[in-house]
Amino acid sequence: MTTLVLEVGLGLLMLGVFAVGLVTRGDERRIVGLLSAVGVLALAVGSFFLEASPAPARGAFVLDGLALFGKQLFLVATFIGILGSLSLPDPAFRRRAPEYYLLLLASLLGMLVLASARELILLFVAFELMSIPLYVLSGFLKREDVAVEAALKFFLVGTVSSAILAYGLSFVYGATGTTDLAGVARALAAPGPLLILGMLLVLAGFGFKIAAFPFHMWVPDTYEAASTPFVAWLSVAPKAAGFVAIFRVFLEGVGDPVALWVPIVAGLAAITMVAGNLMALPQRNSKRLLAYSGIAHIGYMLVGLAAVSASGTAMVLFYLVAYVFGNMGAFLVVESVAQAEGGSTHLDALRGLAQRSPLLALAMLLCLLSLGGIPFVAGFWAKLYVFWAAAQVGLYWLVLVGAVLTVVALFYYLILARRMYIEAPQRTGRIAVAPPLALAILICALGVVGLGVYPKPLVELTLRVANGLF
Amino acid sequence: MGLQPYLILAACLFTIGLFGVLTRRNAIGILLGIELMLNAVNVNLVAFARFTGETAGLIFALFTISITVAEVALGLAIVILIFRVRRTVEADNLDLLKG
Repeated sequence: MTTLVLEVGLGLLMLGVFAVGLVTRGDERRIVGLLSAVGVLALAVGSFFLEASPAPARGAFVLDGLALFGKQLFLVATFIGILGSLSLPDPAFRRRAPEYYLLLLASLLGMLVLASARELILLFVAFELMSIPLYVLSGFLKREDVAVEAALKFFLVGTVSSAILAYGLSFVYGATGTTDLAGVARALAAPGPLLILGMLLVLAGFGFKIAAFPFHMWVPDTYEAASTPFVAWLSVAPKAAGFVAIFRVFLEGVGDPVALWVPIVAGLAAITMVAGNLMALPQRNSKRLLAYSGIAHIGYMLVGLAAVSASGTAMVLFYLVAYVFGNMGAFLVVESVAQAEGGSTHLDALRGLAQRSPLLALAMLLCLLSLGGIPFVAGFWAKLYVFWAAAQVGLYWLVLVGAVLTVVALFYYLILARRMYIEAPQRTGRIAVAPPLALAILICALGVVGLGVYPKPLVELTLRVANGLF
Repeated sequence: MGLQPYLILAACLFTIGLFGVLTRRNAIGILLGIELMLNAVNVNLVAFARFTGETAGLIFALFTISITVAEVALGLAIVILIFRVRRTVEADNLDLLKG
């Protein structure tokens, strides 16, 4: 029974949000946001008291270490995302708050189920439950032409990827005669051509969702046009869910035959890192810059996946946590500056931030250093561990590519830092940050520093989780 | 008839759909292509279920159909929205976001 407790709790919370949305009118509806924040916080805290049970040999829905780890990560990320959304200036976010939060929670429900799914049909349905609300949310400001255009692009790319994923799953089912992932893993010991074709298509479908190159086209446009707190969440939570699903399908119980995928995943990792980092260089908009740097980070995580080892998997999980705090923090600082600057997310808006708001600049600096991989913030350990895992299995060329590109990434992160600390501000006057947004940024900054100074407990936890898969 | 003709039919449907998605300039046309791709999935699933005797594929097909409906309904809604704000549904004209 405890296996489903988070999903049931979230379902009840959604009903509550829906009911409150029905009985409130106009600006009163902002209470819906508070209700969602409190509810998700309660679920997140509760999830840390749950015990993971070792995965049974059969069963469509499991709460093993990986599932629980994923759920905790999604819940924490969603809590930060909701906190950031509470102070959105556009009145539509208050008037239509029930819609916004209900869709956000629906997508979260999809992620929670996805983390536990060990059956192809459930996996696909959960995947779609996660994805479909995202299309609506990215076009939430339906009177703004850019938002709607971004929603259309996101939707088209997302549905094509779903179709490819489903086509791949149909071959996997046809070749193995079962929809149970344990059965699929057994069949992978001696894969036929149909199964290989199916798995390749599935990998392509997941590649779209985690935005690996060449499936990344939707990312910059969607990130630029959609509301920033939502983008902060979109840039981490669905990606983490995609990685959990990849671990389930490609690693769990498969054993040696996964070596088959190493060249493909390693190649994907290398071009994703190169493309993301190089395309980030000329960007003039903070959100686009973070979008391309996010693509590069997916490449770094794929390096850990390419290692196909327990330590590689564990380090991807560690990287995901570091990425959640670093990336969400950076996006939320961009949002708080944009709120003070009348919505501008141009890089120039960050000029002289240190003079206008030293704390905000410090939080941004910490997040950027973490994304760049400087020692004693979370991202450093994340990159080091991922490269270490790849080097252990002899993928030295991949480590080299990654290390060189880290320098490129540092270059554009430090240019951003220079804007904040050295250049003179365009306008004077302090930047007032709404309390919930400030709290969200504080959580991110603390997470980045905490993991940087004391990464050991998380590393041990991820290793335990990953060992359960092999 | 064996399994193979069905798989070839599905592959043709999928390819035509993908070709439509990549070449059509009109958003509605792209949606039609996506619909074809998802129907190829159904043909595949039903054919596999028929020839392996494993009924889970039929259930999978039912789920795929309902998800397709949800996706296409949402897609049409977005197309209508974009027509309202931009007065066009030609993909080439949707170029506010670049770089």
